[in-house]
Amino acid sequence: MGVKYWHQVFNPYSDVSSALISSVFIAVLTVIVCLLVSVPAGYALSKRSMPFRAFWMLLFLIPQAFPNLTVYINIARIFYDFGLNGTLLGVVLVHSVHGLMFSVWISVAAFSSTDPMLERASRNLGAGPIYTFFHIVLPQAMPGIIASCIFVFLESLDEFTGTFFVGAPDITTLPLLLYTASMEGNYQIASITALILLVPSIGFMIIINKFMKPEMLSKLGK
Amino acid sequence: MTHLLIENLHASYGDKVILNNINLAVAQGEMIALLGPSGCGKTTLLNALCGFMPIQSGCISIGDRKISTLAAEKRNITMVFQSYALWPHMTVSQNIGYGLKVQKVERAEIETRVNELLSIVNLEGLQDEKVTALSGGQRQRVALARALAIRPDVLVLDEPLSNLDAKVRLNVRHEIKALQKKLGFTSLIVTHDQEEALVMADRIAVLNQGQIEQLGTPEEIYHQPKTAFVADFMGANNKLTFSSLASLQQQISLSSLTQSKMQPSFSNKSTPYQVFFRSEDVGLTTLSQDHPKLHNETDAIRILGDVQQSAFLGGSYQISVRCGKHTIQADHHENLLEGTPVTLCVPAGALHIF
Ligand SMILES: Nc1ncnc2c1ncn2[C@@H]1O[C@H](COP(=O)(O)OP(=O)(O)OP(=O)(O)O)[C@@H](O)[C@H]1O
Ligand SMILES: [Mg+2]
Repeated sequence: MGVKYWHQVFNPYSDVSSALISSVFIAVLTVIVCLLVSVPAGYALSKRSMPFRAFWMLLFLIPQAFPNLTVYINIARIFYDFGLNGTLLGVVLVHSVHGLMFSVWISVAAFSSTDPMLERASRNLGAGPIYTFFHIVLPQAMPGIIASCIFVFLESLDEFTGTFFVGAPDITTLPLLLYTASMEGNYQIASITALILLVPSIGFMIIINKFMKPEMLSKLGK
Repeated sequence: MTHLLIENLHASYGDKVILNNINLAVAQGEMIALLGPSGCGKTTLLNALCGFMPIQSGCISIGDRKISTLAAEKRNITMVFQSYALWPHMTVSQNIGYGLKVQKVERAEIETRVNELLSIVNLEGLQDEKVTALSGGQRQRVALARALAIRPDVLVLDEPLSNLDAKVRLNVRHEIKALQKKLGFTSLIVTHDQEEALVMADRIAVLNQGQIEQLGTPEEIYHQPKTAFVADFMGANNKLTFSSLASLQQQISLSSLTQSKMQPSFSNKSTPYQVFFRSEDVGLTTLSQDHPKLHNETDAIRILGDVQQSAFLGGSYQISVRCGKHTIQADHHENLLEGTPVTLCVPAGALHIF
């Protein structure tokens, strides 16, 4: 395989470049959506006094309990009614449904592993609940939150089925491009795209290794 | 002058009543020790004071400010936590200055105050360390400085010394006491170590199953326990139980003098008598009970027995003496052989009868 395909791929006007850009853009938005849900939800669900705690936790797992295709076809149908099919927002939402499973569960674990006494000490010294959350609780949970962001980012980058049903043909991400390229017998482009997809995964896995504390997961069942 | 007033305080976890009608008036600048066995509700009382748990009924006030319904952050009662609860993502000075930062005190002023506190608790030079790099004793001081920084109305300390090793504990104990005298803060200190309570507190409240059994100065608590529980808890390690004087006589041999001595102490009551006394108050002699020297001290009871066991305590020996059905511990300056007949002599004032 010659260098010429690499040139073709990294040409700013190539399909690959634009797919890369929209993939990353979607992944970043998905991370933001997941954070907006999982940080407050994770904190609330880490409190054992939270009513229906188990129910809420399981709710985020439900999309994984059914075959992927069934779930995504149904989502696509619902999105169609709202005019979300073929839009960026639609794809971000479908990725978020998937990403929330990771981010909520990891956030619950991260918040559960923080020491409630640290929170008390802050209230004790005159800080209100919101000040306490941002200055004491969140910094403690940060490693877990960062790890969940990385997972969500990677999952979004790799996601195929949901993107295919909700986004295609208007939205093209790297995995979709990979699919079309190999369907067309364009194996050089496909291989290079696959390689590009591999880079962030490996990089982030190394970071996650540093950030995740094993005791976070052990606190999940508490 | 009463500063902190707790009236008819009740609190519970679910159905389980933890605090049952606590009444306590603490004067300005006074240090009260809450003393009691594990699980009696000491921490729960502090949590109720600080607003970490709802109370069922009763009233807590500081001066004329009623605080029992206020949120935790509005009470101005600060706590030194048993686990210290320092924030690991902050330096020593950030920990200490936190309360002031929350109050939006100016930066320069926070710095001055933090430095002042660092020198008060002898931590100069450590301000930029992460708290995770400190020793237990140093963390303890940071926790104390942090709680004092906002000049609380009341400081509460939850077993502040229990995580320290014995030697450091003695030092910190004196440091806290000295600091309290110097700065004059009003405080409640929780402990289950009677010696700690005696040394540090102006007054001691002995807690048992969520109730205050006795409140008094260390001397009162030590010498005049009002209930069997207090006597037992304050280290009266000898306990004789019997239903009447006659039954006591059956169990141990008392000298004739003793019988007349003990008679007036006993009124008619249905529950068994419990007599408590400390091993340190027991005079032990190998002289026979008729020896004239023994009759010099008149206001005492005499019990006959023989040595069962002897243990070396460092400063003295603790001798276990078998007296009929009972075993009595006595402190003695020399070792005695098993089986030696002895006479035990306990001054009437050292007996606590319930
Ligand atoms: N969060 C809780 N939920 C239910 N019961 C509790 C809770 N915290 C404490 N208790 C119960 O309340 C009682 C008093 O507990 P507390 O922590 O006040 O004891 P303590 O006097 O501080 O004991 P220790 O010396 O061991 O610290 C105990 O019987 C305990 O089981
Ligand atoms: Mg306790």
